Amino acid sequence: MLYKVLVVDDEAPVRDLLSDLLKREDCKVTICATGEEALELLKKDTFEVVLLDIKLPGISGLEVLKNIRDTNKNLPVIMITGFGYNEDLIGKSKEFGCCGYIGKNMPVAQIITTFKQFVKDAKNGE
Amino acid sequence: MGLAIKETKEILHDVLDNTGVVVIYLDVNRNIVFCNKKTEKLTGLKHDDIIGANWLKVLFHGNNSIIKQEMFKAVLDECVRHKREKDFEGVILDSDNNQRLISWNLTPIMVENNRVAGSILIGHDITKIREAGNSAKSIDETLKDILSSLKDYALFVINLEGNITYFGMGSEIMLGWNKKEIIFKHLNLLHNADDAENNLHFILEQVRLFGKCEKETTLISKNGEAIPVILTANKFLDSDGKHSGYIFIAKDITERKKLEYQAFQGEKLAALGLLSAGMAHEINNPLLVISGRSALLMEENLSQKIKNDLYLINSQAERIQKLVDRILKYSQKTKPVFTAVDINEAIEFILPFAQYSNLPNTKVEIKNNFEKNMRPIKGDIHQLQEVFLNLIINAYQSMPNGGIIQITTRNFEDHCALIQIKDTGLGISADNLKDVFMPFFSTKNDGEGLGLSICHNIIKNHNGAIELESQVGRGSTFTIKLPFI
Repeated sequence: MLYKVLVVDDEAPVRDLLSDLLKREDCKVTICATGEEALELLKKDTFEVVLLDIKLPGISGLEVLKNIRDTNKNLPVIMITGFGYNEDLIGKSKEFGCCGYIGKNMPVAQIITTFKQFVKDAKNGE
Repeated sequence: MGLAIKETKEILHDVLDNTGVVVIYLDVNRNIVFCNKKTEKLTGLKHDDIIGANWLKVLFHGNNSIIKQEMFKAVLDECVRHKREKDFEGVILDSDNNQRLISWNLTPIMVENNRVAGSILIGHDITKIREAGNSAKSIDETLKDILSSLKDYALFVINLEGNITYFGMGSEIMLGWNKKEIIFKHLNLLHNADDAENNLHFILEQVRLFGKCEKETTLISKNGEAIPVILTANKFLDSDGKHSGYIFIAKDITERKKLEYQAFQGEKLAALGLLSAGMAHEINNPLLVISGRSALLMEENLSQKIKNDLYLINSQAERIQKLVDRILKYSQKTKPVFTAVDINEAIEFILPFAQYSNLPNTKVEIKNNFEKNMRPIKGDIHQLQEVFLNLIINAYQSMPNGGIIQITTRNFEDHCALIQIKDTGLGISADNLKDVFMPFFSTKNDGEGLGLSICHNIIKNHNGAIELESQVGRGSTFTIKLPFI
């Protein structure tokens, strides 16, 4: 197994696709639809990486990230968003301690490559 | 009785002496037999020197003007001949040698048998009254000078038939007509009679109904250009207070209109930007699923026909994706990284890339007219290069039969850099010109219509301005102004 990943996205077709893509890379994937669910799952289980959508119903992805950082400084969290490359969101995500940012406008192959690179860098302490 | 007569004579003397007018009694020989004190005062002569002397010698004692004396003489001759009084104006010198303008009344004294026994000359000094009149005139002149200096205003008057009777102030400058050309021409020259709302006759109707009309409208200049103005029309009353025409004051609001238009465009673009960003986000999610699933399926063991179809789906999804990216780029407020930018260098760097856009078999010549000592501006070099590249590519594409692209840079009015990109291409019609900076507007068949709106946004974020002038068949000129550091 490559990584144990938590995928958080409110749109089922998107999170299923991301899940399938990661499973093909030999990841163990858990999926959920909201930030609240994600925080609950993180309390119960241990993950090696979180792929977190920014725009979520209820508490936003950025707030979830902030919450994670309150308890866990090292868990790699990668933000993903339909807004594509957005400097404001990238800035905020970095400020709250994400280890990477992926736009949903990327081709799927590139999404996975970027994801793997971010996790690798995070684990290497970069 | 004798006492009474004496008293009456004294009273008469007193009255005559104290009236503000000159009173002289001439005998038939035109010698003075009586004069009042005002006469002495005005002429500076003593009573004894006046009495018995010829009237012209007294009145013109300090002035040898034969012509004036002849005129006075002719008037008296006429009075006596026709036995009737006459009013006339004449100038004499006073005791201080100053010219006094006097309104004279000369009346023959008739005795029995219709005989003339002498004449009475009464003179009223009107010098001051006339001076006051003259100074009133000079105030008019001053006002005229002031009003003429207000070049943004045109003032013109028409008579009741609609013919222009006065064309003053900034009218010539604003409307391009020479006073001599337009005087007595009909008002129809200055407006578009087919445009019901801007028709001046409609405005005149309002003045007839309500006495006054103020309206934002357009006037047509000599070269056919429509000039936006605020037009105030009033009834024109002549000196008798009779309605004799209409007076118009037009204020040129071209600059204001330009700013309003830019602000309006800015707001419209901002609203569209917001809308586009929201839409792009909603499109990105399903699009990722379409492209992702089709990519995954292509790796399955499927027939070639299905794989080809999947490839088609995937590539079309990618095509949409690129468009969405452009929309996002347009709508996002990407923070420019400001540094000192040498405009000439920035343009020179992108020129080789721009040349790839040259259409096949066309000869396009690039002429650079760069100011040597360009002052640096504060800007994001990459964003600005994107703007220049976009505009030069546009210029290339607008010249399918070849032509010239002229790129000019210069320091403008001490506060900004001016960059002009001018082509000799197809040009853009006046109708399309107002929309060129709107997203999704394109005159090209394969254009997505985002290039110029992105340019507009970038320049706006640099606190600059971008304008396009274009004429069909003659080409287009983009003018960019960017503030110096």
